[in-house]
Amino acid sequence: MVAGELISQSIVNGILLGGIYAVAALGLSLVFGIMDIVNLAHGHMLMVGAYVAILVFAATGITPLVGMFIAMGLLFALGVVLQKVLLKHVVGEGIEQPIIVLFGLALILQNIGQLVLGGDARTADLGIPGSGIDLGFAFLSLPRTVTFVVAVVLIAATWAFLQYTRTGQAIRATAQNRTAARYMGIDTDRIYVLTLGIGTALAGAAGALLSMLFPIDPFVGWSYLLKAFAVVVLGGVGSILGTLVGGVVLGVSENLGALYLGGGYRNVVSLLIFLGVLLLKPEGLFGSGGGGGE
Amino acid sequence: MSLLERHPEESLLANRRLQGILGVVLLALLSVPFVTTDSLTGLILTGLVFVMLGVSWNLLAGYAGQISLGHAAFFGMGAFIAAWLTTPTAAGFPASIQLPILVAVVLGGVAAALISLVLGPILFRLSGHYFAIGTLALAAVIELVMLDQRSLTGGSTGYYVQGDLGLNEFVTHGDVMFLLTLVATILTIAVTYRIVSGAGGLGMKAIHDDEEAASSLGVNPLKYKMYAFVVSSFFAGLAGGLYGHYTLYINPQSTLAVTWTIDSLVIVILGGMGTFAGPVLGAGLFLLLDTGLAAIVGSVATTVEGALIILFIIYLPQGLYGLAQDYLVTDVDAGGADPHAADATPDGDPDVVTDED
Repeated sequence: MVAGELISQSIVNGILLGGIYAVAALGLSLVFGIMDIVNLAHGHMLMVGAYVAILVFAATGITPLVGMFIAMGLLFALGVVLQKVLLKHVVGEGIEQPIIVLFGLALILQNIGQLVLGGDARTADLGIPGSGIDLGFAFLSLPRTVTFVVAVVLIAATWAFLQYTRTGQAIRATAQNRTAARYMGIDTDRIYVLTLGIGTALAGAAGALLSMLFPIDPFVGWSYLLKAFAVVVLGGVGSILGTLVGGVVLGVSENLGALYLGGGYRNVVSLLIFLGVLLLKPEGLFGSGGGGGE
Repeated sequence: MSLLERHPEESLLANRRLQGILGVVLLALLSVPFVTTDSLTGLILTGLVFVMLGVSWNLLAGYAGQISLGHAAFFGMGAFIAAWLTTPTAAGFPASIQLPILVAVVLGGVAAALISLVLGPILFRLSGHYFAIGTLALAAVIELVMLDQRSLTGGSTGYYVQGDLGLNEFVTHGDVMFLLTLVATILTIAVTYRIVSGAGGLGMKAIHDDEEAASSLGVNPLKYKMYAFVVSSFFAGLAGGLYGHYTLYINPQSTLAVTWTIDSLVIVILGGMGTFAGPVLGAGLFLLLDTGLAAIVGSVATTVEGALIILFIIYLPQGLYGLAQDYLVTDVDAGGADPHAADATPDGDPDVVTDED
């Protein structure tokens, strides 16, 4: 039997980690829901965001919490260029072409990651892992708590943007019906550029936050892509609250899986939960049937 | 004047000049182990493995329209199951199950096909993006579990494969494995050709083009997806078993990692997705790139590979095959018709699709 305190600690850590997973998943979910493409390079963009934060921290000592905004800016620009230069040729051409273009991009980003930093794993190493609050049943580590709060703020900000701004409304309208949106005078091409920019910026933010907690290497892209997609499936495409809940469910189940089955099975547990949900209820546990596409 | 000419109603394969070219290529390949160095033999064997992977993935993705990102799982499982059967004691199995290499490799392919037979009905509840991601996740699960099962796979240390081919002083292990791989490659091409030029291929193309319409015409989508998936997995597993018994060393990362999926995809995209000769041409180009790029551009080889995928899919979706067809093949009496028109169903009889397995 595993001691009760270990279990509660795993659950608390899982919840805190789940916030970052939700940020990563929100970017993927927006692009999927609005543009009807799965960004296969999303995990690799997360890796790039983490590296930007790590390099900025190493060079200047600026905390990844600030470096995160640099990463978001760079990845927003990457997303804009990607849509304007490459994806505009293939969006709406069926699923094969966008998937393959993004697959190629993932390879390029992975290779660049290797060239910049070699194959080694790196963290931002803030040097404050010991500080935190003892709740009695679990220890609330400071970096984990701070990253969780930042993650929730990012999600809330994205929600508010989509809910209350003109542009946000235009994005939601495009998600519901891109043809009708175009007739209503919405420049859907611009919406796509913006959506991919926001989606990739969120990947960059999630990467920067993760860089404070875990080692990042150039090959983590596929693994985080699958985690983010798992959260999308758990939470439902287009559901922001669902994404947050899905992130927490994934974080907690990974940690409990690692506790009971051994660290090697951390990712297996999340993948199996993902496959299970995908097969039983592909529209997601909290999904309303998807935010966009057909 | 073009190299090849084709009459609209006849298959290009009936062309005598093409038959001659294929015969010369086959003879050249047969002579490879006897006239070239071991390293060149190994290189061309890798090319044959690429052909098997490309042709098999193309059957599933290019013809049946199911973009699987899990092809590596079947390649790797074929490699491991064949290895367990020739070298059982290294994985803690009794020595009595030891089999000759040829039998073990075929059983590796059969086992990969059986895995797809079990998983297929579950995976095919997914479609489109969800199928792609689901297969990627499944392959990741298999890789992680195999990596963790050190006693079965050697973990990251790897698994040393043995196998007695009953050799004499005239042939080496590598030469025999080359000839076996050549036979398997020809088999892969021949079987796949039979399928895509027959009723099965029509069914696959029908569900690729419009699954709902095909379904309403009496085509059972699951049947044709499963057909493509099982055949595709068999040849991927066969390729894995052969490759493992050529290199005599495998580990979970080297055989099950997403790299093999990427390779299969790149080969098909370069050659021309959904065309029959495409993956064969693509495997040749990919082999050149795979060995040449690292020498020319060094560590940015993967970037160049990624860029090529993107450029080909955007600007040359028919791949090398499309290029070759434009420049080398003339359609006689086609009267400006679409060169692909002869590929389409000539009589359009839906019964052809449903009557036969």
